[in-house]
Amino acid sequence: MSLDLPAWSEPFADSNRGGLARHGPWGRVERDWAFGDASGRGLRVAIIDSGVEADHPAVGGRLVESVAVEKVGDEWEIVPTQPLDVVGHGTACAGIIHALAPEADIVSVRVLGPDNRGNGGAFATGLWWAIEQSGASVANLSLSSRSEAFFGPLHELADEAYFRNVLLVSAANNVSVASYPSLYAAVVSVAAHDVPSGDTWFYNPAPPVEFGAYGLNVDVAWRSGTRMVVTGNSFAAPHIAGYAARIRAAHPGITPFETKALLAATADNAT
Amino acid sequence: MNDDAREATILDALEGVAARAAVSSRLEPPGGEAILRSVVEAAVAVFGAEAASIALHEPDTDRLVIRVAAGRAGAGAIGLAFAASTGIAGYVFSTGQPLAVSDVTADPRFDRAAAETTGYVPGSILAVPILDDNGSVGVLEVLDGRSEGGNQLRDLDLASVFAHQAAVSIRASRVERDTAELLRATLARLATDRDLDAAAIESVVSDTAAHLDSEGGGRLWALADAVARARHASPDQVGLVIEILDALARRSARPAPRSFRR
Repeated sequence: MSLDLPAWSEPFADSNRGGLARHGPWGRVERDWAFGDASGRGLRVAIIDSGVEADHPAVGGRLVESVAVEKVGDEWEIVPTQPLDVVGHGTACAGIIHALAPEADIVSVRVLGPDNRGNGGAFATGLWWAIEQSGASVANLSLSSRSEAFFGPLHELADEAYFRNVLLVSAANNVSVASYPSLYAAVVSVAAHDVPSGDTWFYNPAPPVEFGAYGLNVDVAWRSGTRMVVTGNSFAAPHIAGYAARIRAAHPGITPFETKALLAATADNAT
Repeated sequence: MNDDAREATILDALEGVAARAAVSSRLEPPGGEAILRSVVEAAVAVFGAEAASIALHEPDTDRLVIRVAAGRAGAGAIGLAFAASTGIAGYVFSTGQPLAVSDVTADPRFDRAAAETTGYVPGSILAVPILDDNGSVGVLEVLDGRSEGGNQLRDLDLASVFAHQAAVSIRASRVERDTAELLRATLARLATDRDLDAAAIESVVSDTAAHLDSEGGGRLWALADAVARARHASPDQVGLVIEILDALARRSARPAPRSFRR
């Protein structure tokens, strides 16, 4: 049976990976050099999601700030909030990033909540704060908006992040519609591959989804101190965010563009 | 019976018809729901699943309500409602991000109470959003599917195709429902003010239609209203409207570049 599936993961599937083989202009870069001590020390990673559970063992006590987007009158505002997770998903992302960059600080920007659900305004406000106020140099977005009304504002924010030296890592959405900001050129867009390894990632030279990372049957942290085995592009993105945190901490001053180039040059298909 | 009384009687009768049409469309779901049922039945067959269900969001209560379900373990789930902002389905609904969980029981609080209400606690869940132009309108879930080769990534992609089919059906049935609402609301307003001329009645219909578009940015009824009002234009003006719409149709039919698909 052959179906035209809306699959950003397809280029990274076992049967298709031959198409990714390539020889980059500067060859392969060794991960040991790119990652340095692989600690993420001195760096902040923002997680724009459902919140992060501060005392989950997988987060390692690295959560340093928690804010939430709330509607005050007609405006969306950033407010300090309890370090809790309304779903478990933000904690899953934090756990993956902490495992890869254990000394990186984590900032939680909760854009999900009973009143914010699926609201592009809440999402854009949280993203704005992460870029301009949080002090983070890497932001993980394992969620997206598909509101046409926010195509423009989110695009501007993605460019703003790029110019302000903040790397946005965005999960692609495997549904048959566009979602933002994962399809913008200024972000690192990630889908899941089917290799059961957190140390494996691929660079896809055919945008918009340029990276494939571990997202199939991933053992992740979840709400209330638990763990779950989950699948989705949502869990691939924080792997790339974790590698990016290693690279950015090891090479202070490195730009988002240079970080992306190093992620490509250290990918499993780089030769 | 004079003309005024006859007109009032006709309006009362039409309002009665409109009210019953609105109620009956609730009692006997329009064709769209039959398609939703076939979507979940097909999902059960394709995934070899114990159950598949479609939950739609009800904005008034902010809950996801399971409207259709199929499979051996699905029947007990119909009508079940749960919060739209928590749990796996809530996350998928909130973010529009598909998610598969291999062992849901690992989270002791995860939807267990809701699942037990149906008499069935699944081991694995595939959950994908049902998306229209403005965001999520519901969630399609497949419980305990027998994944071919264990590749849930492929399964998520496939389930998304089913969800897209559901979205098309939901969109069509919304037009049916809105039409009944347009008829009901228009007649209700006409019934309270019976001295309107043709232009004023047209204005009432137009105004009522404008309220049918969702807050999230859907403009279907605004477009329908503009086109409908244009029927009063001169032949030359109608010709111009047709040319403009034709140009727009050709432009929007042009495929966007892959990296800029909107």
